[in-house]
Amino acid sequence: MQAITDQVREIISRELKIPFERLTPDTALLDLGVESLDLIEIVFALEEKFDISIPFNANALAAASEEESSRVGLASLRTIAQISTAVQELIDAKTSA
Amino acid sequence: MNRVVITGIGVVSPVGSTIEEFWPALVEGRSAIGPFSIARSERVSTRIAAQVSQFDPATLFEPKQLGLLDRFSQFAVVAARASVRDSGLDISERLALETATVIGSASGGQTTVDDSYFKLYSENSPRLHPLTIPRLMTSAAASHISMDLGLRGPAFCVATACAAGTHAIGLAFHMIRSGQAPVAVAGGAEACLTAGTIKAWESLRVLSQDTCRPFSRTRSGLVLGEGAAVLLLEERAQALARGARVYAEILGFGMSADAHDITASDPNGPARAMRAALNDARRNAAEVDYVNAHGTGTMQNDRSETAALHDVFGSHAKRMAVSSSKAVLGHGLGAAGALEMAVTALAVHRQTIPPTANFEEVDPDCDLDVVPNVARQADVNVAMSNSFAFGGLNAVLLVSRA
Repeated sequence: MQAITDQVREIISRELKIPFERLTPDTALLDLGVESLDLIEIVFALEEKFDISIPFNANALAAASEEESSRVGLASLRTIAQISTAVQELIDAKTSA
Repeated sequence: MNRVVITGIGVVSPVGSTIEEFWPALVEGRSAIGPFSIARSERVSTRIAAQVSQFDPATLFEPKQLGLLDRFSQFAVVAARASVRDSGLDISERLALETATVIGSASGGQTTVDDSYFKLYSENSPRLHPLTIPRLMTSAAASHISMDLGLRGPAFCVATACAAGTHAIGLAFHMIRSGQAPVAVAGGAEACLTAGTIKAWESLRVLSQDTCRPFSRTRSGLVLGEGAAVLLLEERAQALARGARVYAEILGFGMSADAHDITASDPNGPARAMRAALNDARRNAAEVDYVNAHGTGTMQNDRSETAALHDVFGSHAKRMAVSSSKAVLGHGLGAAGALEMAVTALAVHRQTIPPTANFEEVDPDCDLDVVPNVARQADVNVAMSNSFAFGGLNAVLLVSRA
């Protein structure tokens, strides 16, 4: 899991041009001031890296409430830890399939 | 300056290709969004679109002509023929020399592109059909309309993504107003439902997987559509002299660029385009009764468009009606603005405001009268049609009752 988290940090660091050390498991993407295209590119980079499909709709970025964001699939993608867990689950689902 | 009226409307749409099918579907909010059928659909995960069905090109074109036409050009030619027929205008040889053809399309011959490149890269075909280029070029629809109808005046295509149809009609309007052409055939055409295009839209993460719900809090994104709409625009005095049925008069056209972001919208650009259209028409914002919104059903568009409407219309914003036709027609990209101009012209002609279909819940950030689900009889004297393209290219038309 630590390995996945570090790879997620690496990807986000590269995409957002933010030093790797500044990204902790608790860092929330929205707090980094990501814009719509950044987020889409991060999701794409994760998919390419791990060969997975992440269900994500860009409507989520502007979502005002928790309820709204969960409806469009962002709830599990708020912090780096959550993203890493989601990535791990998608990898596991792929291996077990 | 000449005054300009719309005397003919031709559509090829997901809800039908006659005005008798098209208009009732919009008034009743009958959405055409549903399952669709394309080649290599197993390569995409999206299962819904607003596809044109009941369109049989073999019955509409001679085999020799059909071989030259991508699906988007087929739509364009059929809609153009219908608009001229609908107008009752007899385009004499002399008039044809001056008649303009202006057609918008976002991406041109996508079916040709998808099929050809599949053959080349996936089937390792050593050759492509010799007519690949003439079929796929974005200007092909304008060329084929001019050939099919013998129109020899100014002719060109406009490729401003989701605003192309509106830009095309606006430019044709200005050409007639300035005396450059007495008549124009203008609109937009798109046939973008291919595996490649849909996959690319999926990658942008803006496609809904259930349906399109503009201005509704429960929205989940946009749904792709396809089709064409072509309007016959005519100098007003000439149209009245021949006793033409006039759907609406075009009053003004405004354009602007956001100069902001390639996908994100900025309320400032759309607001300036709306103001430009009002200024072009020398009308006040308070005179507008109805706005046919861009209304894609993405959170970003709906909230940004609402903010722009509040900016331009002030306290009048909540008094006028605003609805989106995309819940019924999907988003036909370069055809969308033309299809929606057809809707707007019919709204002033029939004095009926079509609803925003699929509406579920009020979004507090879209605090407008969005005419949820049920059409309304109303005095519609002045109406606006908005198109805001990716890349921040905005186009707005203003029309009035004839």
